[in-house]
Amino acid sequence: MSSPLVISNLRKTFGGLVATNDVSFSVAQGESLALIGPNGAGKTTIFSQIMGELRQTAGTITLFGNEISKLSTPARIREGVSRTYQVPRPFGEMTVAENIRVGLMPDNIWHMITRSGNADRELELALSVGFSEDDLKRTPSELSMGDLRKLEMARTMATGPRVMLLDEVFAGLTVGEIAQIAALIQQMRKDGMTFLIVSHDLKALEPLVDRAIAIEQGTHIAEGPFAQVMADDAVRASYLGAA
Amino acid sequence: MNIRWYHFALWAAFMAVMFALPEFVSRGTLRTVIFANFLAIFAISWDVLSGRTGYISFGHPFLIGIGAYTTAILTKRFDVAIEASIPIAVIVTMIAGFIVFLPALRIKGSYFALVTLAFMELMYQLVQVIRPDLTGGTRGISGIQGITRGAVNGYYLSLTLLLVVAVTVWLVMRTRVGTALSAIGMNEESVRGSGLDTTKLKLFAFLFSALIAGLGGAFYAHYVGAIAPRALFDINFLFTIIVAALIGGAATTAGPIIGAFFLTFLLEYLRPYLPGAERYFIYGGVALLLYMYQPKGIIALLETMKDRIIRRSST
Amino acid sequence: MLQIIIQGLLLSGLYALIAVGFTLIFSVGRVLNLAYGAYLMIGGYAFFFFSQQLGLPILLGVILAGVLGCLAGLLKYRLLVIPLKGDHVAIEISTLILAVVIQAGIVLLFGDSPKVLLPIVPGVTQIAGASVTFNILTATLVSWAILISLYLFIKKTHLGRAMQAVSMDKKGAAISGVNPDHINMLTWGISGTLGAVAGVFFASYTQLSPSMWVAPLIIAVAVVIVGGIGSIIGTLIVAHIIGFMEVIAVAEIAPELRGVFTMLLIIAVLIIRPQGLFGREEIQ
Repeated sequence: MSSPLVISNLRKTFGGLVATNDVSFSVAQGESLALIGPNGAGKTTIFSQIMGELRQTAGTITLFGNEISKLSTPARIREGVSRTYQVPRPFGEMTVAENIRVGLMPDNIWHMITRSGNADRELELALSVGFSEDDLKRTPSELSMGDLRKLEMARTMATGPRVMLLDEVFAGLTVGEIAQIAALIQQMRKDGMTFLIVSHDLKALEPLVDRAIAIEQGTHIAEGPFAQVMADDAVRASYLGAA
Repeated sequence: MNIRWYHFALWAAFMAVMFALPEFVSRGTLRTVIFANFLAIFAISWDVLSGRTGYISFGHPFLIGIGAYTTAILTKRFDVAIEASIPIAVIVTMIAGFIVFLPALRIKGSYFALVTLAFMELMYQLVQVIRPDLTGGTRGISGIQGITRGAVNGYYLSLTLLLVVAVTVWLVMRTRVGTALSAIGMNEESVRGSGLDTTKLKLFAFLFSALIAGLGGAFYAHYVGAIAPRALFDINFLFTIIVAALIGGAATTAGPIIGAFFLTFLLEYLRPYLPGAERYFIYGGVALLLYMYQPKGIIALLETMKDRIIRRSST
Repeated sequence: MLQIIIQGLLLSGLYALIAVGFTLIFSVGRVLNLAYGAYLMIGGYAFFFFSQQLGLPILLGVILAGVLGCLAGLLKYRLLVIPLKGDHVAIEISTLILAVVIQAGIVLLFGDSPKVLLPIVPGVTQIAGASVTFNILTATLVSWAILISLYLFIKKTHLGRAMQAVSMDKKGAAISGVNPDHINMLTWGISGTLGAVAGVFFASYTQLSPSMWVAPLIIAVAVVIVGGIGSIIGTLIVAHIIGFMEVIAVAEIAPELRGVFTMLLIIAVLIIRPQGLFGREEIQ
């Protein structure tokens, strides 16, 4: 079976600025990979290219052996990759249940009209990220930052991904919420989900990943077991330089 | 689907009142209600696209006008039967809607509103010069064949049409497609990020809206009997449609109906007191204040009132 | 041929004047002011009232029209734009309603029938075989004078640069000590004044009627779409493209088609280059 996600020679330039400089890596089936680097290193830019929100200047992205680099975002999601965002983007005037419902919808208007939704699955997803049944009727304006991240996680899971990209899932969360999301990720890893995770909370990140890749100024600078990457001279220099 | 018994009760009550109406009111009032019915259809059509997805259309008179002109030209100039000309008019309107949709695909926000406005003005000017032998040029087409005779029959026809349109829209919008369209209005990127092709959804909204506009426009042409470019492709007409949808409450089905009746009757009841132009001044002023006070419309005001009453009775 | 060039230049000058106030608001405030055409109507009717009905001097009439336009702009900003907190859709809709209200107000004050405005500057001259009224000639010259001073104002003065800053990056401008609120207020005032003055000339070119606000609004919209936001030079060039297209259409094809090419241009530009021919790309 081919590798879930393979990035080859990915390059993105904005005018003269090189945001992604010839980055290559791959994620194995069921593996959880951390993407680390200082602010502005280009981690989110790589996520956006994998999802097709930004078009790469050069290079290819392959998902389970199919090249997806030219597909639209929704088409990539149908291929089995989905992401969360640093800043959660819920549908402001919809309930938690409706937000999750949008993620569960088939990309077929006729089916949207003729077939009814799966309320049980909505509830199941909401419960799995730590909402209670009462939360289903709440709207985003009543939710905390942690709740919004959980909602985003649930909607992303609803699209049925086989590879999930998590962008700063722990930012703005309480210790309890971090533990809850971490437990959820661990459970999903056991169930065979493949992850690519960006987080500044290195302590929370470490137990969740098998391996790490470090990026600085769009360039791949180190790769290997998490502790080894963190001990790498170039990686330490990049963090110190950023601070 | 989430449909409750009281939804049916409300629809049934509304239908009962409306069908019994000719027994209680004068012929004159009935003619006013007919206009309110048509306005409600147009406002629902606008709402399906703009109220839900947030893509504001300033070009709805363009769609309605195409429906009206197509059926008028077919019946008057080519002696096509109404049974055939109305469906053809609807299809032509949908094709026109699709043509507008193509350039509109690439643009967002204010620019979308402007391009639809440009289409309306384009149509206004073209219809006067291209084949005036068919379109009647500046003077338009008069003596269009009617479908019914008399106010009561005209009323029942317009009411039936309104009910068919309203119930259909209501049912469709309660399914997941309605949720998805509203989601586009809130955050289009997140809809794409949920794996849904928003282009397809917007095209659906556009065509559904054009279908209703074409249907309404065609029946309207046969009801009034005469159409002219300045009466159809006109900013004042556009204003009335948009304001009806917004004053009543956008992104709901009852809202545009309430708004259309409110506006029509506001204008009608001001007539005895203000026979002249003052009426339009007050009419516009009321619309503006109401919109500024509650952009979500009368339906939101009613809901706040209902909540207040329930809270008071429960304490 | 020469006649077309002269007529094109004259009409385009007027169009540039009509569009510039609208462009200004769209660039700085990022909102579509659909009641912009109503400024022209206010200006035209105010001038009609002051100089033709009250018999005040012409220059005073123009100034009073400008003052009224400025007031209308400021009031609109205070009473509509601020309460709606920059919600674009709500502002577009409410300015559209406002335009209709102002139209009804004009009917109330001056009646429904169109009025002919006496030429601001009477007289006719011959230029290269074409008869040109002093009136439209003055309009064009005034329009150029206003556009050049506006250009200098925006490029050279502190206040003008502050307006530019707000138009490019509201937050950034606020951080560097510019109060976007004051700048917006100022822009709405200037836009109203420009609209009203343009209205005086536009009305003397055509006529006064309660529905006269639609045509200039469409012209302004066309100039903004085709030219893109944030460029006075772009506004000027596009006003000439549109003006010449109209003159050529009227002279060579059919007078009724004068506006059709403008609309087709709008649609074509939106398909090919949504940010306009001369506008900057929106920075995400």
